[in-house]
Amino acid sequence: MNGHSIVVSAFLVAWVSASLRLAGPVLVAALGETFAEQSGILNVGIEGTILLGALASFLASHRTGMVWTSLLVATLVGVAANLFLAWMYVSVRASQVITGLVFNVLALGLATTVYRLALGHSAAPESIAVFQPLRVPVIARIPFVGPVISQPAPFYLTLLLAVVSQVVLYRTDFGLALRATGENPAAADSAGISVERMRYLGTLLSGAGAGMAGGYLVLAQVGLFRETIVAGQGFIALAIVIFGRWNPLKATLAALVFGACDALQLSLQIFGTRVPPQLLLALPYLVTILAISGLFGNRAVPPAALMKPYVKD
Amino acid sequence: MTKLFERRLAPADSPLAVAGTTTLALFAAMAVAAIFFRYYGVSPIQAYFGLFHEPFATLHGFGYALVRAAPLALVALGTIVSWRSGFYYLGFEGCFVMGAAAAGWLSLSTAPGARLGPLPFALFLPLAVLFSWTVGGLWAGLVAFVRVRLGGNEVLISLMSNYVARLFLQYLVSGPLRAPGSQPETTLLPRGTWLPFLFPGTRGHAGILVAVVAALFVWATLQKLPLGYELIVTGFNPAAARYAGIEVGRRMMLAGFFAGGLGALAGMAEALGSQHRLMDGISGNMGFVGIIVALLSRLNPLATVPVALVYGGMAVGADAMQRRASIPSSITFILESLAILLVLASDILRFYRLNFSVLGRFKWRVSRSQDPA
Repeated sequence: MNGHSIVVSAFLVAWVSASLRLAGPVLVAALGETFAEQSGILNVGIEGTILLGALASFLASHRTGMVWTSLLVATLVGVAANLFLAWMYVSVRASQVITGLVFNVLALGLATTVYRLALGHSAAPESIAVFQPLRVPVIARIPFVGPVISQPAPFYLTLLLAVVSQVVLYRTDFGLALRATGENPAAADSAGISVERMRYLGTLLSGAGAGMAGGYLVLAQVGLFRETIVAGQGFIALAIVIFGRWNPLKATLAALVFGACDALQLSLQIFGTRVPPQLLLALPYLVTILAISGLFGNRAVPPAALMKPYVKD
Repeated sequence: MTKLFERRLAPADSPLAVAGTTTLALFAAMAVAAIFFRYYGVSPIQAYFGLFHEPFATLHGFGYALVRAAPLALVALGTIVSWRSGFYYLGFEGCFVMGAAAAGWLSLSTAPGARLGPLPFALFLPLAVLFSWTVGGLWAGLVAFVRVRLGGNEVLISLMSNYVARLFLQYLVSGPLRAPGSQPETTLLPRGTWLPFLFPGTRGHAGILVAVVAALFVWATLQKLPLGYELIVTGFNPAAARYAGIEVGRRMMLAGFFAGGLGALAGMAEALGSQHRLMDGISGNMGFVGIIVALLSRLNPLATVPVALVYGGMAVGADAMQRRASIPSSITFILESLAILLVLASDILRFYRLNFSVLGRFKWRVSRSQDPA
């Protein structure tokens, strides 16, 4: 092996494993959001929910030192927060976009204030228990494959959830009822499906996904809490849902594309190329915009009743 | 069986009912924030006093409140133009950034020895307004075009476009426009291109005047001109508008162009009036907060400047509180956002009526059971 190919293979290993690492949290959030959007709710509040989940998991891990418990706490906090959002979206029938956007500000305020109250004036960042990459005994030693698949446990949980989501959405009665609600709530209603219940469930599932994404972010990637930790990942999850055409498996691919662009820009900066990293970062957004714009004929069509509150006649 | 809360068939829509539920919601939000103030050992009354004292009782603080208010009001006006025309644009973060970039670039090219060379301010300002308006207007107008001609969803597209704009500015300040130094930002803009300060010794700049003029302009257009009427009808009922011979698509694209232009002026005001340079994150979420200001103004253009002033003032008061009493300014985020959410939620109260007769019967039963005879 000459020097050049060593550099190339090192680059590839670094790139692919970073892509998988970065794709994880946004994918969990996107999977949850898929359920909300399939039920007709555009839940923009997942950005704030991720932040609340991140804070909850940080505090839980700080207090208990148990990573799985902390991930569960983050998920539950996400569900609890989205109970309020679901009430606003479904029962109050407030504008989904406005509610979601304002909720994100509320979550930022709450997370910042509670973090300060909980940790007082300790200046140094607190260290917490985090997930370590899984090292499968034999496979971990295989060149290329080993380092790439040595991801922390939540990554594999996320992949499992993607498959489960796909089955639930497209192979169960519940999934059919949920999609019917998002496509034509009046028809679903007359078929005996409770539109309210489906939309509550959709929103709560997106809360669970977003809360878990926050936990994933803190417990498997960053290892600390800052109020800037989420930095638009909730909106990226929204983009992934669209890019993946409201389908969990396609969303998984979409998340990998986003992760790959993000990781490539990191690697290229290290290697010092002339390509502006921002161009690579903007690429997934541009592709998403093109996908929903209808510029290329076959437009990504959202569920027909997305963002429309349902009033029973 | 009469219940204490009885469901109405239609919401109560008397002014008293609306005012009552809104007031209740605001008090509820203030009560929740008061809990947090107590945690920091401050009496809530003192805290609320402090929140408004700095921005509205000191000249220095008032100047800062004006600085915060100008871009918020401009974004709010953009929101009003687009939303009332039925174009639910959420890309003001992007317009803000594009407008700031356009104004900043123009300003940098008037530095001595640069592309244009020094210009008199009276010539520079109209040029800057025109240039950032056009850039922001096209930025939002493109989304309107996609919505009208191709049927794309403007909410999702505009949310995504914010990131593209932000990354574009990030590229500018870390690449072509980067000043030598460690920070990815431009050099200080030439002093001759700064918006003039209004009162000596404060930071309040002429951006607020731009906002006032824009508010009057938007109000006059929407309320007094046939064009505004057509825009509002387009937003209200596109099918009826089309039937009445209004070119709905063109009107919506025009609304997008206006909205984007106003959002870009907000960025221009921030760049030329307050920051005096370009850097990543210059919008500081104002593209979203401005939408909230528009909602609090109930999409009334004349209300935007006062509401933005209260909103901006509270931010200044919160910063002052954080400096003096080390109460995190994030509590005001809770207060402000909760106030909006609860005002939205309070609408549901108007679907209920209170039956005080239930209370009366309850008392009567209690008194009788106490009576031994």
